[in-house]
Amino acid sequence: MNTQSVSLLAAGATLSASARAADQAAVAELVTRIKSTDDTVRGPAWQNAGPYGAPAVGPLAEVMTDPHFEIARSARRAIERIVRHAGRPGAETERRAVAAELVKLLGHASPSVRKHALWMLSEIGEDPAVEPMAALLADPDVREDARCALERIPGAAATAALKKAMTTAPEAFKYALAHSLRVRGEKVEGYPSQKRVPTKPTKVRAG
Amino acid sequence: MLIGLGAASLPQILPARVLGATYSTPSAKDRLNIAMIGVGGMGNGHLGYMLARQSRGDVNVVAVCDVDENRLAAAVKSTGGKATPYRDYRYILERADVDAVVISTPDHWHAVQTVHACEAGKHVYVEKPACCTIEEGKAMVRAAREHKVAVQVGSQGRSQREAFYAHQYIANGMLGRVHTVKCWHYATPSDDHPVPDSEPPPELDWDLWLGPLPWRPYNPRYLHGVFRWLLESGGGQIRDRGAHVMSNALHFLGADHTGPVTIETKGRVPTRGLWDSAIEMEVTYQFKNPDWTLIWAQPGEMVPYPDRERVKREGIREGYGAVYYGDQDKLVVWVGDGQVYTEQKALEYTPAPGGVQVPKSPRFDHHEDWFEGIKTGRKTIMNIEAGVATAFLCVLGNLSLICGRKLHWDPVKQEIVGDEQARRLMSRPQRYPYTL
Repeated sequence: MNTQSVSLLAAGATLSASARAADQAAVAELVTRIKSTDDTVRGPAWQNAGPYGAPAVGPLAEVMTDPHFEIARSARRAIERIVRHAGRPGAETERRAVAAELVKLLGHASPSVRKHALWMLSEIGEDPAVEPMAALLADPDVREDARCALERIPGAAATAALKKAMTTAPEAFKYALAHSLRVRGEKVEGYPSQKRVPTKPTKVRAG
Repeated sequence: MLIGLGAASLPQILPARVLGATYSTPSAKDRLNIAMIGVGGMGNGHLGYMLARQSRGDVNVVAVCDVDENRLAAAVKSTGGKATPYRDYRYILERADVDAVVISTPDHWHAVQTVHACEAGKHVYVEKPACCTIEEGKAMVRAAREHKVAVQVGSQGRSQREAFYAHQYIANGMLGRVHTVKCWHYATPSDDHPVPDSEPPPELDWDLWLGPLPWRPYNPRYLHGVFRWLLESGGGQIRDRGAHVMSNALHFLGADHTGPVTIETKGRVPTRGLWDSAIEMEVTYQFKNPDWTLIWAQPGEMVPYPDRERVKREGIREGYGAVYYGDQDKLVVWVGDGQVYTEQKALEYTPAPGGVQVPKSPRFDHHEDWFEGIKTGRKTIMNIEAGVATAFLCVLGNLSLICGRKLHWDPVKQEIVGDEQARRLMSRPQRYPYTL
């Protein structure tokens, strides 16, 4: 791994063509190791993925759909490492670069990738991520994850997105949206909390 | 005499039925009606305890609840078929005749179920650790206070006989000023035989097991019992046994209402499998005013219990405990949960007249302490504030590990400072409708 160039690219620096090529090679090497069926190779690879930063997010997302469940899981965890590394105080440029890559994944064909991107953005996403995240409130596969992710993002943009969704969402989903808005301190007419409404009877009988 | 809570804070549902009754021999109408939420593992143990009390005429076990129908059926059978079974705990909260609930579900349910039970006016015994996130813990404290119910968190080490003596010894200054507490605990297991996701077994309501967690396919490595090894539902040894050993540390040092100012974790997590809790870890918590250091170490440095015959005779689990270092002496406290052992010098110590009197659970029984809290309105020994303070240590230790950096904590505001991502991780949005 070319540590210096990886860290520069992760930080969003403008690199020369040769440095960019070196970084692409480093990411490719990371992906190769993540795709190893040997967990003594794959494990350290995902555990040390943090500094690879934004350039590795997209390639790793593709590995998340690998049919080998341990390889897919390792790719998912590598992205988590990148997000947690980029989220450290003082790394704003790096964090925004990673968030931008995560936003691209919101349109991925795999629901599990979209879902993971949403939860990762809930940790580091800012206003630019809100609109593309909110678009997934209309996606039946991941809309609950989109709601949760937006609930976690501070600021008026996320609140406005949740409010806007209240006007178009399916009726049943509006209860969940109303909950998120209340968590954020908003008053919502109607749609009372269903949290204590029992719905699941047992088949076991006394006696 | 009421201790801790004012008269205005007396539990709201009990006075008419139980206050004034002689609790040791309550009449039938004054017996607490108890519902058991979660009846596997620890829940099964609590059920056995309550059934023993029921046989003595103390309580009625009126309902049992589990999302696993096999476990539920077994629990009903153990009550002689008398308890009403439920899959969904929310039916129980609708019952006006239920006075109190015992919650022994996986960790990710503790806060939601506790808050809902408090809102329904039920007294709560909830297994440790109290919460999975900082915001969950705050919600639990608010709910218990607002609805004036007695909450006992199941870190029962505080109620044990030798914990009382260790506490008394330390509180009376026999170690001098305690500056360091070093905990040891053996490692968290790793999943060395991972399996792919699959269909849930027919007896399990997978949706209800997940509850507040984001939906995902079933995998047998999530449950039962092994939920402890996942960060979301358990959190590893630091949250399981840390909620005992560090609970005792806060208790003995009178630090329940304080918190660290920094938390720094180093650790090693599994390279494969579903379980993601640290196998080995060391967390350093720095407290200020007074200054002391708490160290949670897996495995740390185990201190063998000196009486080897007693170890064999009583099955003492030496694999975890803590050493309390003062500027004059040190004291070892072994284990920390249903078992607590300490050194002979503490057991033989009697405070001088006017010395510090430390709390003692009735008959050194953690459940009995809860019942007394319900009856009198006094704070339980592991009340929700204390339970949450301990859980925060566990939560913050793991959070520092997953963030890969030192965290700074404001113990007054109870929030992480100077780290936006870690601040966001103080909460985890919950899947609707399984929300606080």
